Amino acid sequence: MNQTRAPRELQVIGLVFALAFAFPGLYLIWRNFTSGADPLSLLFTNQTLQPFWRTVRLAMLVSLSAACLGTALAWLTTRTDLPFRKLWRVVLPIPLVFPTFIGAAAFIRTLNPGGLANDLFSSIGVNRTPELRGLLGAWLVLTLFCYPYVYLPVAARLRQLPGSLEQSALVLGDSLPRTFRRVVLPQISGSLSAGTLLVFLYTISDFGAVQLMRYDTLTRAIETNYLARPPTAFALSLILLVFAGLVVAAERSVNRRLPEVKTHRAHEAVEYELSRWKTPAIFLVGGTFAFSFLAPMAALLDWAADGVLRTQRGGRPLTIDTSKVVEAAANTLSASVITGIVALIAVVPIAILVGRYRDRIGRFTHSVVIATFAVPGILIALSLRFWTLRAGFLGDLLQNSMAILIFAYVVRFASLAMGIALVAVTTVSDDLHDVAATLGADRWRRFRSVDLPVMRPGLLAAGGLVVLSTMKELPISLIVAPIGFPTLTTRIFGSFEEAFVAEAGIMALVLVFTSAVLTWFLVLRRVDHL
Amino acid sequence: MTTAAARGVTIDDLEHSYDQEPVLHGLCLNVEPGESVALLGPSGCGKTTLLRLIAGLEKPTVGSIHIGGELVAGGAWVPPDRRRVGMVFQDWALFPHLSVANNVAYGITKSATRDIEVTAALEMMNLADLGDRMPATLSGGQQQRVALARALAPRPGVLLLDEPFSNLDTSLRTEVRTEVHRLFADLGITSIFVTHDQDEAFIVGDRVAVMRDGQIVQTDSPQALYHHPVDRWTAEFVGTISVLAGDAHSGTAQCSLGSLAVEPQLRGPVEVVLRPEQLSLEPQGAATVQLVEYYGHDTMIFVSLGDEQLRVRCGPTAPYVRGDRVRVTFTGDIASAFELT
Repeated sequence: MNQTRAPRELQVIGLVFALAFAFPGLYLIWRNFTSGADPLSLLFTNQTLQPFWRTVRLAMLVSLSAACLGTALAWLTTRTDLPFRKLWRVVLPIPLVFPTFIGAAAFIRTLNPGGLANDLFSSIGVNRTPELRGLLGAWLVLTLFCYPYVYLPVAARLRQLPGSLEQSALVLGDSLPRTFRRVVLPQISGSLSAGTLLVFLYTISDFGAVQLMRYDTLTRAIETNYLARPPTAFALSLILLVFAGLVVAAERSVNRRLPEVKTHRAHEAVEYELSRWKTPAIFLVGGTFAFSFLAPMAALLDWAADGVLRTQRGGRPLTIDTSKVVEAAANTLSASVITGIVALIAVVPIAILVGRYRDRIGRFTHSVVIATFAVPGILIALSLRFWTLRAGFLGDLLQNSMAILIFAYVVRFASLAMGIALVAVTTVSDDLHDVAATLGADRWRRFRSVDLPVMRPGLLAAGGLVVLSTMKELPISLIVAPIGFPTLTTRIFGSFEEAFVAEAGIMALVLVFTSAVLTWFLVLRRVDHL
Repeated sequence: MTTAAARGVTIDDLEHSYDQEPVLHGLCLNVEPGESVALLGPSGCGKTTLLRLIAGLEKPTVGSIHIGGELVAGGAWVPPDRRRVGMVFQDWALFPHLSVANNVAYGITKSATRDIEVTAALEMMNLADLGDRMPATLSGGQQQRVALARALAPRPGVLLLDEPFSNLDTSLRTEVRTEVHRLFADLGITSIFVTHDQDEAFIVGDRVAVMRDGQIVQTDSPQALYHHPVDRWTAEFVGTISVLAGDAHSGTAQCSLGSLAVEPQLRGPVEVVLRPEQLSLEPQGAATVQLVEYYGHDTMIFVSLGDEQLRVRCGPTAPYVRGDRVRVTFTGDIASAFELT
């Protein structure tokens, strides 16, 4: 542990960042009580409480199912003789590349008349296909695209957990399910609850999927109200903000993290024989992958191909051309990459303050940044949108600017980079620093020649995560992006809303393909460093 | 490879604390140019802190440090990057992203002669073939030598080493220890190294400073330290002892081994402290053999005499077994003894 005090400039930077990250949330609260209308009477009306209960119901259901599915998949791929385990381990996280609204649209349109599944059903004589709407639809889609948030940390934890623990329990006479409950579950509980929290927060902040499924949660109610009835939108936002904060606080206090056993030596893997459970296991793993990746991909390809063929046969022409797709893709990429870079610039000083100097201001800023993770994107968007309308000259300057869009993205996603950046900072041991000092390097040279190169893989992965999340972002892009700055998500969403399915399909494929490539280069390839 | 002129280190009344917790108090130490001094002490005694203070990685709360006659801490402040002090860390702290050659080149500022100096440093440590390798691919002993080459390459006036051998396998440790010892002797460099291992301190150090609770209790040559420790704790820390109750009077002490010669100024009840090689055994007597530990080059025999325990070092062919009755005699000139306080 380094005993020297943090440089003053770094502390000032930390404080400024804390203010910047807290700003959208604080502004929202402030507006609630100054927007004229009686805030308390608005808070407890049917108009607000009904969407709130829908949000709670959906989030509970999705969290529960994603936790079970994610854990089951993790256990099957790390602890059993499931066939093609290595392949499953690579493909199971892939559904993360889909924004949930694309997944939702895929399911809805596929089951509609003219959709792939509908055609398939009618070809075997079933003329009434189930319609996927409301709670059921939102639950299904969010579970299918959120389970990797649980699967990834739990699988990582299981791989790290020495098999000798379970074997000891088995030798002591526990059955396999009992061993799982008494030994494995307590050891993975930290990762499991952290992953489930991610799913919960994702669900309550999701806008795209519930909008397309026509399920009126808080986010959807906020979006419908924010232009016509701002005070109602503010009240809904406050409820959502407080709820998200409470959930995070509850997870922190309930989850007393048990001392976790770690092993760094390559230990002998335990492998249980599935025997008669092999077929159901394959169905579970394969079915998950089929519905969360293959089916939506097939739908997107189907729409895109339909559109292209239709145009070639002289039917209704596509409303987009290559230049429009390229424009949206370039906008998405540039905005995401800038966001990734700015997020790193914001996060690294804070990580250094906390990781190297254990500085009090650093810890404060760190907790502010982490807390912003609970703030749904639609709230950040709303807050900044209304602030620019009110902020006079500065507001006029920033309204409809790239700067405000990037700022909103960074506030939303920088917390994703925080954890990895902190790990990256702590990989630069104090000794490396000290030895560079005794070899004659001043502070700046130490930062350039030791810190940056040693942290590089971690920082790339951290920035990569931010870039990927920004590419998929919808509500901020819809509300804050400058006029004349279409991104892939806003274009896709717009096309769905106007039923231009082919266009949506083509651009969704571009988005999925780009983020798959980026995921590979920025995150998966470097996953050892995390 | 030549070195810069060796510089001495003088430390006066040094005090240091972490978060109001005192770690060093009133510590004085003088290291002559070209001398090798071991800082020997149990863990937590502050020896690594002292090393970091000399390097400039910490600022002392009170007191001063001079390196080569220049005031570097206390009144003035010279930061670590301008002290020209080399340091080898316990975990070697090799830059993981740089090759061996680039690690060694890190501290050399003059670019004109850098390549030549790097080559020279690598050759000196028998690393000439490993210049392009990355640190992670090297064995422990090789990493150790890279760390040394890197610290020596900028030609520091003083070399500091923090537990330089503790991260090596036992088999390798002896070999590397001799190698480093020879290097210090050949280069004539001032070196200060921290260790908790008495063998290392005695073998490599020209002088040994024994530290306890943030203070230096004794600085002496290894021989003087072994035979004339200042107190019982130091005697026990630098080697095996047996302790007998005694009564001192005008140059002799009465104890269960009879009347032994001690320092003349001692009076009254004392603890007589005996090294195992100051004792010998003969068959038949009042003592009983409790345990026999065979080391190859000699044998340590644990003996009980009345309610006191003694350890006696015998030759490799000592004929005693557990339960034998023996007589213990003192074969030294003068026994160490300390008055009870």
